Amino acid sequence: MLLYLVRRAALMVPTLFGITLIVFVVMAAAPGGISAQSLIDGTNLEPETRQALEDYYNRLYGLDQPAPVQYLRWLNNISPVGFEREADGTLGAFSLFKGPDLGVSFRYGRPVTDLLAERLPITLLLNLLSIPLIYAIAIAIGVQAARARGGRFDVASNVLLLGLWSVPTMLAGVLFIGFFASEQYWRWFPTAGLVRREAVDQTFLPWLASGVDVLILFASLGMSTALLVWAAARAPRGARRYGGALIGAALGYLMAAGLQGAAPTLFHGLLGLGGAALAGAMAGIPSKPLRIVFAGALGIGVGLGLARALGAEIVHGGYLFDRAWHLVLPVIALSYGGLAFLAKLTRSSLLENLAADYARTARAKGVDEETVLWRHVFRNSLLPLITVSATLLPSLLAGSVIVESIFSIDGMGKLAVEAVQTRDRELVLSVTLISGLLTLGGYLLADIAYAIADPRVSYD
Amino acid sequence: MTEITGTKQAQLARPWLRQVLGALARRTGARIGLAWIALLVLVATFAPFIANTHPLYMVVDGRASSPALANMGPVDWIWLAGFFLALILTMVPAKTWFRVTAWLAGVGGATVLAYALVSPPTLTVYEQYRTMEAAGKIERIVRAPIPYSAKDYLRDYGDTGIEAPLAASERHHWLGTEENGADVAARMIHASRIALGIGFIATGIALLIGTLIGGMMGYFSGVVDIIGMRLVEIFEAIPTLFLLLTFVAFFGRSIYMMMIIIGITSWSGYARYVRAEFLKLREQDFVQAAVACGLPLPSILFRHMLPNGLAPLLVAASFGVASAILAEATLSFLGLGLVDDPSWGQMLNQAVQSSTFNWWLAVFPGGAIFFTVFAYNLIGEALRDAVDPHTQRTTMGARQ
Repeated sequence: MLLYLVRRAALMVPTLFGITLIVFVVMAAAPGGISAQSLIDGTNLEPETRQALEDYYNRLYGLDQPAPVQYLRWLNNISPVGFEREADGTLGAFSLFKGPDLGVSFRYGRPVTDLLAERLPITLLLNLLSIPLIYAIAIAIGVQAARARGGRFDVASNVLLLGLWSVPTMLAGVLFIGFFASEQYWRWFPTAGLVRREAVDQTFLPWLASGVDVLILFASLGMSTALLVWAAARAPRGARRYGGALIGAALGYLMAAGLQGAAPTLFHGLLGLGGAALAGAMAGIPSKPLRIVFAGALGIGVGLGLARALGAEIVHGGYLFDRAWHLVLPVIALSYGGLAFLAKLTRSSLLENLAADYARTARAKGVDEETVLWRHVFRNSLLPLITVSATLLPSLLAGSVIVESIFSIDGMGKLAVEAVQTRDRELVLSVTLISGLLTLGGYLLADIAYAIADPRVSYD
Repeated sequence: MTEITGTKQAQLARPWLRQVLGALARRTGARIGLAWIALLVLVATFAPFIANTHPLYMVVDGRASSPALANMGPVDWIWLAGFFLALILTMVPAKTWFRVTAWLAGVGGATVLAYALVSPPTLTVYEQYRTMEAAGKIERIVRAPIPYSAKDYLRDYGDTGIEAPLAASERHHWLGTEENGADVAARMIHASRIALGIGFIATGIALLIGTLIGGMMGYFSGVVDIIGMRLVEIFEAIPTLFLLLTFVAFFGRSIYMMMIIIGITSWSGYARYVRAEFLKLREQDFVQAAVACGLPLPSILFRHMLPNGLAPLLVAASFGVASAILAEATLSFLGLGLVDDPSWGQMLNQAVQSSTFNWWLAVFPGGAIFFTVFAYNLIGEALRDAVDPHTQRTTMGARQ
């Protein structure tokens, strides 16, 4: 296994080399390319200052040298072993311990390492929140669809998932911001960023006016969540559907009232009907875990609203709540596409295994269908999901470019767009390198997980 | 009895492509998808007759003229020629490869002719018709259903800017106007060309590169395969969107550049498919026979092997068109798309650019992107079912 890991890591090097080479060639071959002139273009300077600045940039980044030399210099800078770089840009003595150096960003004038250390955790936070969410919901939907193949849930979810997969991330983001965050419609969520300025100075947890308020908050939250979850799990189907529709209609009406006042209009009626249809359909889903998840989310929302209505005075939400509130829309926008894809994959993988010989043997022995599904088929069906997890990370990284741009989150995706737009060579190359490294790391992790999950696979 | 076996044999002897297309046409999802694409093709082809400030027909001082026809550019003529050529070729009984070649040759010829012969006035004054009409100079006029061009910013009205649907008092903008005052419906109609063109041409380029490289890898294997797979891995490990951004930011922003760029960044998947198919196929007898006959390499690769490995490629290409359209929309959305020409993604971007949220700029162009991508995904899904031997057997069984 160790040998395998070493070999894989060694194979990564030429790939990473190729990635940076391609991006470098694109930048060098572009008309205009990158030169000291393009860096100071647009600045209003005296000719002498201009010349001095150009010379400075040329010396610092070696921009007046031929492109292959520039690339070799960059490689030397990032490799942990190589020639020392002097302060004036010339190469010094060969050293074994000089350490990698990603250079200084043209535009920000700061070391790229600092910028990445600032931005990368934010992108990783978004992605690491999305991945468990995607897997949990996708598996729940896929299992339910496969279990009743050709049933109503299967057909409906199939079309809905394909539709969800086709919704462009930017459309979802724009609609979210426009309707749920902007000034004109519901102002439920913040429009931009990851945290409000005030929240940084506040306590970590929410701060309430008095002990009674804390009690009210906990009571209403606990009650509504427990009640809804219990109803979702235990209530008979008819009661669930009517109850769900009723709650949905009430929420739809409240939603309309928040925008246009309490007097009922056609708009109130439409939203109420829409809410009733949606909540009724959710309550009618045959999969219990899915129902419980939806009911729990709804319960938290209703509980918060109830506490507000009962007069619990919240001084401020605190840092944690504020951060979570900012993350809701971006994480949804980032995860729904992958969710649709994975749910379809889970379904087809389960169907394939349910029809396999070993499943038939188990049934023939008299094993009941639940045990066949969970003990025999489910674990084998996870294998394609593990394989796909490797490609999920790159697509999430690409998605975070869009999501971060829409929600003005200062993560690596936004940094990438800015770097490319301002032709910031060092930054573009470093971002390419890091995202390539993350992607290849994802592939490696998936292969290792595959070996752990499937005893037939061994890398020795 | 003999008749039945006769039809059965005819059915079995039907060409594979037609079998697949027949299976495709029986699926509801594919039908909806195909209908939407057909509608888009119609709208894109006849865009100058649907949304145009130039009247289709007018009589001024007793002289009849058609400014719409006179102002049609080479691209408009090429679209019309391509459309009618395709229509004629589907009527003519001929082999598929002949039809495709004839169509490509015809469109190529039309392109040369159009750029040589057609020279519309370079300076278009959109306002002239409205001022002439206001002055009562026009005797008879037939306007397009949407009397605005995509780049007609309605400068003569003075109050132009971003407007909600049907908000303007004296004009009808069914889908509102965008930030420069142009009609959103007209821009969307003209932008359908970009979506369709990008989808087909970018995927075509990607298919070409992917088939060549993948075919080489699968046929030769060995060293070629190892080097080729590294190349595929490199292109897969760079997030495509990021590579696209880099390409577009450093090279120009013309539509042809974008087609090429999207094409050369998305071939790796096709290469993988073709490689896998060719690895399987090259061991088979008919390929060995072709090699033993001493056929030239291109003939073995593309006449004998490729048609047998086409099935997964078709499915992947259908999804590929969807992602190419998405890629263009994303680039335009991030502000790296075309500058002046209308594009759905660019309009979507305007929905949140200004301080207010303009829902009509999000809902209509965004909806158009969604439906187009959805249509291609539906077709891809149906194609996958149609070429999959498992599902095909069951549907055939159900029919008999």
